[in-house]
This record gives sequence, C-alpha cells and structure tokens, in this order.
Amino acid sequence: MQGEVTVLVKDLVKRFPGVLALDHVRFELRKGEIHALLGENGAGKTTFVKILYGVYVPDSGEIYINGKRVIFTSPIDAIRHGISLVSQIPQLIGSLTISENIILGLEKFGMMASIRKVENYIREESEEVGIKVDPNTEVWKLSYTQKQLVELLRAVMLGAKVLMLDEAITFLPIREKRKFYKFMRKFASQGGSVILITHKIPEALEVADRISVLRRGRYVGTVETRTASIDDVRKMMFGERSAQITYERLPTSTPDEKVVLDVKDLWVMGDYGAFSVKGVKLQVRAGEVLGIAGVAGNGQLELVQAIMGLRKVSKGRIAILANGDLKDVTNKGTGKVRSLGTGYIPDEPLKFGVSMENNIEENLAMLPAIAKGIIKWRQVRGLANRLINEFKVVTPSSKTPVKLLSGGNIMKVLVARELSIAKKLLVAYNPTRALDEVTAVMVRKIIKEKVLKERLAVLLVSEDLDEIFQVSDTIAVMNSGRIVKTFPAEKAEREQVEKLMVM
Amino acid sequence: MDAGLIAIILGVGPAFAAYYLTAIGHGLFEKSGILNLAIDGVFTVGVAVAYVAALFAGTAVAGSVAALVVAVAFGLLIAYLATKLPISHGAIGLSIMFVGYGLAALIAVPIRSQINAVVSYPMNVGVDVAFIIFSIVIGVLVHYMLSRTKLGAAIRAAGENPHAASSLGVNVLRVRLIAGMLGYALIGLGASFYFLAYTPAPYSEGMGMGQGWIAFAISLSAGRHPILTILSALVFAELLYNKFVLQGYLGLSVHITKMIPYLAALVAMVIFMVTPLKRKLAPPRALGKIYFKEERTV
Repeated sequence: MQGEVTVLVKDLVKRFPGVLALDHVRFELRKGEIHALLGENGAGKTTFVKILYGVYVPDSGEIYINGKRVIFTSPIDAIRHGISLVSQIPQLIGSLTISENIILGLEKFGMMASIRKVENYIREESEEVGIKVDPNTEVWKLSYTQKQLVELLRAVMLGAKVLMLDEAITFLPIREKRKFYKFMRKFASQGGSVILITHKIPEALEVADRISVLRRGRYVGTVETRTASIDDVRKMMFGERSAQITYERLPTSTPDEKVVLDVKDLWVMGDYGAFSVKGVKLQVRAGEVLGIAGVAGNGQLELVQAIMGLRKVSKGRIAILANGDLKDVTNKGTGKVRSLGTGYIPDEPLKFGVSMENNIEENLAMLPAIAKGIIKWRQVRGLANRLINEFKVVTPSSKTPVKLLSGGNIMKVLVARELSIAKKLLVAYNPTRALDEVTAVMVRKIIKEKVLKERLAVLLVSEDLDEIFQVSDTIAVMNSGRIVKTFPAEKAEREQVEKLMVM
Repeated sequence: MDAGLIAIILGVGPAFAAYYLTAIGHGLFEKSGILNLAIDGVFTVGVAVAYVAALFAGTAVAGSVAALVVAVAFGLLIAYLATKLPISHGAIGLSIMFVGYGLAALIAVPIRSQINAVVSYPMNVGVDVAFIIFSIVIGVLVHYMLSRTKLGAAIRAAGENPHAASSLGVNVLRVRLIAGMLGYALIGLGASFYFLAYTPAPYSEGMGMGQGWIAFAISLSAGRHPILTILSALVFAELLYNKFVLQGYLGLSVHITKMIPYLAALVAMVIFMVTPLKRKLAPPRALGKIYFKEERTV
C-alpha cells in the first residue's frame, strides 16, 4: 500500500498583501502514511493546508490528487475529492446543532433534506470515532475537546481520504491526544493519509512516518522518522537558531520576602454551577515564578480568571501588593488588578487577548498602562517597533491588523505587550502554547530575566510540564480545584508531580 | 359578537398579510448575514409595480406576480453585491433604497397621470380571512425551512460565520442568493398586498414609503423568528389598521397613536433581551459584516 502518491504539490506560490506566504513549495503525500508538516510560526503551514482545502486559491503551482490535476476554488471542491481539514480553532458554528453542522458538507443530502435524517447516521458513525454525543446538542454547549472530536467525526462522515490536522490536537489533554493518535493510525492503515501540522517535534517523531519542513514559505526537505533525530529536524526548522533550544532549567531565583500576590481560601464557581476552585491558598513573592502544574480542567482557568477579576469570587480573598501593603482586590474588577502593575496572558488568547480587527499599535494603545486618555501615537509606534524587533514578529508593519498575522505571531504580540506592562505581577495561562520552540524558549528566558533583574512575581499556569520545570522557582500541583502540594522547584521530581496531577 | 366588531378584527387581514410577509422575508434574508437596508426602497418599487401591472393585466394577481418578480431581481442583486465584493452592506442597502424610491416614481407616476383607475383584490371578510390563512401558512413553511432543513441550516450558518460555513461545505454565495430570492419574493408579495388589498387608492408618488421600515421593526421586535413575527405583525397591523378607532374611542392624539406600534416594538425587544429568549433570538453574528475570504494570511 505504501508508495502510492495520493497528493502531489508542485511549485505552489501564494502571496498576500506584503507577504510571500508560500514560495514554490512542493510536497508529496503517500497513501497510508501519517505525514507531519513542521515549521516555525509563520512558516506557511496553515496557508498550505488551506490551499489544499480550497479556502485560498494559489497564485501559481499545481496540485494532483491520485495523479489527476485539480483546481479547488472552495472547500466543497476539496471535500468532493475526499480532503478534510480540522483546525486548531474549531470551524463549527456555535448556534447550530451537531447534526446541522455536519449535514452542511454531506452532498448526498439535498437542500430541502430534513436535518432529522442525518441524526441516526451520526449516532452510528460516532461510535467509530469514539465519542458519545447527542446530535441535537448545539455546538456552543460542547467543550473544546468535544468540538474537536465532532470535527473529526465530520471528516470521517465526509468520507475523507486525506485528513489534515492543523494544530488540531495541540490544545487537547494528553489522554485525548492518545485517542487521536490511535485513530490516525487506524485511519492510515485503512488506506487514508494524514497531514499532521504540529510544532512539537517529539510528537511528530512519535506519530508520523515522514516529516516535511517548511521555513519562511519555502520547502526545506522531507525525512523518514525512522532515521531522523530531533536535532536533525530542529536544524531543518530553525537552521543555526536551533542551538538556542534548550529544556535545561533556567537559573533559579531566590524570592524576596515581599509577597506580591496573596490568595486565601479562594472558592470560585465554574461554568456549570459547581465549585471549580475549592479553597485555594497561594502566595507569589517578588522575584519568584510560581508554576501551577495540572491537567486542563482542574480549576486552573477559573483560578486565573478570579485573580484577574474576570470571574466572581464566592468566598475568600485575593490581595495584591500596592504601596508596600497588600491591597484587597477581591471582586474589584480587571481594571483595578491591572492598574496595580499586572500583566495577563489569557487562555484562548485570540479571543480574549487581542482585538483581531485592530492593528498592532492599537492593540498596544488600548491598555491604560500604555496609553491614557489622549494617545501619543508616536510613542506607541516606538514601543510597537521595539517589541516587533525584540520578539521577531513577522508582520509587514506595526499598522497591520493582527488578524492578518499568523497565530504564533499574534501570540508574540500579546506576550510582548503583557511583559512590557507587567511591573509587579504577571499572570500567565499557557503563555507559549502556540509558539514554536525557539520563540517559546525565548519567551521563557525573557520572563525569567524580568524575574531575576526586575523582581517580577509570576504566576504561571501551564499544561506543559517541560515549561513548568524550566521556568518555575516553586511548583504547585493543582488537582480537582485544590492545590495538592507545593515544592521548591529544585527538589521537585517529575514523576511525583505527574502522579499528583492525575491522582 | 356583533358583525361590526368581527369586521374590525378580521379586516386587519390584508394589512397583516402585507406586513407579515414583508417582515418574514426581511428576517429570512437577514438570517443569511446580509444587512437589509434596501427593504423600504424595494417595497416602494413593489407597490408601484403592483399598481401598474394589475392595471394593465386587469387582475390583481398579475400585480402581485409582477411585484414578486421585480423584488426577486433586487434581492439577487443585493445578495450578489454584498457577498462577492468587499463593500459595506450599509452602502449597498441605502443606495438601492434610493434607487428604489426613484424607480417607483418613474414607473407609476406617468401611468397615474394618464389613467385614473385602480385594480385591486376584492374586499370582504372571506378575502380577509384568506389573506390571514395564506400568510400564516407561508410563515410556517418558512419556519420549517429555516429550522428543519439543510437549506435553513446553511442560511443560518452563512449568517453566523460565513468563513466557517464555507469550510463546512456551504457555498455562501449560492445560499445567500437563495435567501435573497426567497426573502425578496415575500417582500414583493407583501408590497403588492399592501397596495392591492390594504390601501387600494389612486396611486400617488412615494406610496408605500416607510412601510418597509415598519416591516423591518416588526421583524426585529420578533427576533426574526417567523412564528413570533405572527404576533408582532398582528399587533402592529391592528394598531395601524385601527388607529382611527383608537383615536375615536380613547381620544388620543394622532401623533400618539402613530407612536404606539414603535413603543410596542421597543417593549418587545427589551422583553426578549432580558429573558432566556436572548440567545434564541440573537441577531446573526456576521450580520452586515463584509465577507472576504482571502483576507487572513500566513
């Protein structure tokens, strides 16, 4: 079965205003293989799969499916050829039910077909993918993981022969990831092919048969995972910059006595009417990174939102250092918390961290810590350009709407902004999740440097244990809404932390 | 109940049919994500076309058919422009509205100056009831289509998020053209009923102007829901149809009676915004947003 070429791409070129996104890219996908597509942020991976899915029309180049040349002008063309795409952000429509979302792509149902007809069909097929859902549920009620599973179900029901996963499993909890891996393997063994976009090299090496790398819109090469090492792939992705990647612990900082964030007996309600945070007590001191490790969904999100004044505190107290004293900010609102010198990197950064329609300068100026009342645009532009250079944001200019940047570059804008305004405290939720390795390590180093030199206090919540171990001075493990244990990072053992996370 | 009262209640039939059909046509079109500011202009054209066509064919039905056809042409044009080109829906809608006002005068005024006659639907209680039943049947069909069929799901998907809809397999342009066609067919029909059944009077320039906006408000105050619109259309139609009765019985000033329907619309909107109906009746998320699929990069 191996060897037959399903998708062949030659000399693909795509230009966007001010950017050459793909520069004569070639690519080959064989039948029955899982093919990982790697590249740093803004390398053109997403553009590439969007062209294969008919979302964008290429400027030039050729695409062959099973040896026949095709031209796609809309996703429905791609679907007809058995190509399906699952993105990082679910492309489902929230106000529609699962059945309605799925029926839209099923051509065997005519325009006047009743939606009820698809329901039984969905019930049968969902066993295949391993999800239990009522097809009548409106999609907004589903969790992120469920939405991604529905996307997968949809791809299967569309009769996909080529499944493209664009960072689709990056945000999933580890157990669900394993399920996806298994599913992908089965799909491939039945004659399907998978294009897996990821920025995690170990994941690619573990799951894929071959790896192709894009760099700044150019095709770098393809390797077999059997023979490739992590360093080979890193060199392909980053060139000489791959030397900057490290997972060694960054220098430990000795915290001051001064407490910057003090949380006492905190109780916070989750979205479904039950307590998600159950009596959390924690302190972050100046010059300290407190890393909170935990499996997603154990109350970390609600804790962070409560601290930032974005979610109501039912009981307990949150205090932040102001003029030498701890000031009570419980239920005082985000404005108050931020005015005390707090930076915040939220979960779902594209939704809650930036305004997509506005440009980089405007995204800086909207924070009172950067511009008050009358905006001095010259000053804002200076800051914007400084941050663009420092974080190597790939953008035509500081006046480019952020929606035109790649996901990783939007994240860089956000992280750069929040680090520049965090005077005393930084609250971060998965700050490097969407970033490539080089940038992620750079962000962690910048955070740590601010902690060491400017005595910043950092509350870092991350689902990535590598990150927790690399940056934290103190590690707390959160499980079922409680902090179950706190260690000095130097004494923490990975195995023990992992055990406490899933206990 | 005495016959007079029944006549007053049922007499609202033509007015109800005119406003209701126009309102659900408007709601259906907007569900696909296109801000429909052209409604009043096209309604005015519909009135003019209905008048002229009925006059020349000698039958009111011909007037309705002609108004429907002309309105559909407008609907297709608006849907095409707003989906295919990155131009503001507001600009398209308002331009077409003014084109409509002008076109209406161009079509009907010269005829009016030569022929002083009107062909209309017969006026009696039976016909009134027929109008009510006909329009409610259409409303139920529209509701079924929107909530239970693939086409309905596609229209709603295009209105919520056309980018996502497209990646789910919807041909956004085609779906919006269908919505434009169906929606404006109802608007054209409503306009013809307004003139040929509700207010058959010698044509005068600008006839029907402003009625499109009333239908707009009726649709909005029912959250574009075809079944709820029955209620809001009935309230509006009764208040407008019986405005002289209100003046007579209650001794209210004409200005106040004219205001009442809009106050009712405001109250209705407040009611559904503070209740759980809010999510059900929320406007389409992409309403009025420019759909340009090549815009995201890298």
